[in-house]
Amino acid sequence: MSEKSYAHPDALVTTEWVEGHLADPHVRIVESNEDILLYDTGHIQGAVHIDWRSDLQDQTIRDYITPQQFSALCERNGISNDTTVIFYGDKSNWWACYALWVFRLFGHTKVKIMDGGRDKWVAEGRHLTRAVPHFMHGHYTPLETRCDAEIRAFYDQALAQSRAGMSLIDVRSPAEFRGEVTHMPEYPQEGVLRGGHIPGAASVPWKMAVKDDSTFKGVNELRQIYEDEAGLQPGQDVVAYCRIGERSSHTWFVLTYLLGYKNVRNYDGSWTEWGNRVGAPIERG
Amino acid sequence: MYPGKLNQIIALFESLPDAEKRESLISYATAAMKQGPRDGEAFDLEDIRKDEECTDTVGVFLKVSPQRACAFRITLGSQVQTLTKAMTAILCKGLDGLTPEEIMEVPADFVPKIVGAELVRQRSQTVYYILTRMKGIARVWLNRERSAAPHGG
Repeated sequence: MSEKSYAHPDALVTTEWVEGHLADPHVRIVESNEDILLYDTGHIQGAVHIDWRSDLQDQTIRDYITPQQFSALCERNGISNDTTVIFYGDKSNWWACYALWVFRLFGHTKVKIMDGGRDKWVAEGRHLTRAVPHFMHGHYTPLETRCDAEIRAFYDQALAQSRAGMSLIDVRSPAEFRGEVTHMPEYPQEGVLRGGHIPGAASVPWKMAVKDDSTFKGVNELRQIYEDEAGLQPGQDVVAYCRIGERSSHTWFVLTYLLGYKNVRNYDGSWTEWGNRVGAPIERG
Repeated sequence: MYPGKLNQIIALFESLPDAEKRESLISYATAAMKQGPRDGEAFDLEDIRKDEECTDTVGVFLKVSPQRACAFRITLGSQVQTLTKAMTAILCKGLDGLTPEEIMEVPADFVPKIVGAELVRQRSQTVYYILTRMKGIARVWLNRERSAAPHGG
């Protein structure tokens, strides 16, 4: 476990911890990546693959699966209501944090992130396998409805947050925030019609929260970044956003689990909704 | 519609069930790391750069024989996505021996036939990038050939 004085240190596990729990029947390791074939090239022994797009999202509407579909997803991956799920993945755990956040939408609270993600595991020379595990089906009782209200923000709520002068954190790159580009660096195919940011939002790129090895910074550094420099205060309602909600899931995890903020919501519609929406107010510069 | 070798690869992929298609893509992705220049090879053109369209540096090396047959070598940075790696090996094999003009005419619509619609998504559009780079270096070679011709330029 982490020794960095986080608010919820149990939300992070180290690569060593994971290696020591590969056969733990109460633990399920989940890999979630942006690189859609990366799991197939090799993964942590016993890890299952949950894809942000094909597993967690509705395949027609831009939204998440139903509680019943989530229950079925968990059961076929050997996950029950009381299973502790450890997430890891590529891109400094963007999609691992996203998958964890989606699990929380369905009320699954026994969730953790492997600090440093897949890159750290590989850099340490730890074993990868191509063998796909098969587990006994879990027993998962779904919630009646998703817990959207607690940790998810929609357009109208982000707009209300902006108009009320409440905290909004834009975790995209500075050039996206300033409106100089209408896409994420290295993803020019993901353009939107307008560039800029939600009025009143503070720019804190997601990457500020991690070190070069993709592990999270210590709590003092995080407080300096989010509180001293960006002006957040514990106890505030905070809405984080990016382009489609994966980078802001990373920041949501930092604020919620590492700094202990209780009212953080991820606006997963993010800039691909806001920057394309007719009449949405935008600030530039 | 597609050049011969590429057409064979497309036909093979179209015949495969999804699980085997993924397995074949992994095999091609592994092979991609062997597509770089060999010791002693010389090229007509070399184009090594990091573009915004791709997550890491890609080097494209072109040699055109006196019979105008193209041979490509490609180097990939470690952060290049697996699908892009697979497409690199597929294109090096599938376009080998074509003329620069033929390279320029290869349509990009074969990609979903190989990769499968489920794997083509906005976040994996770099699968098209390698073909763009190969066409780009073929275009430069053709422009230089025209410039060097007695009445070219």
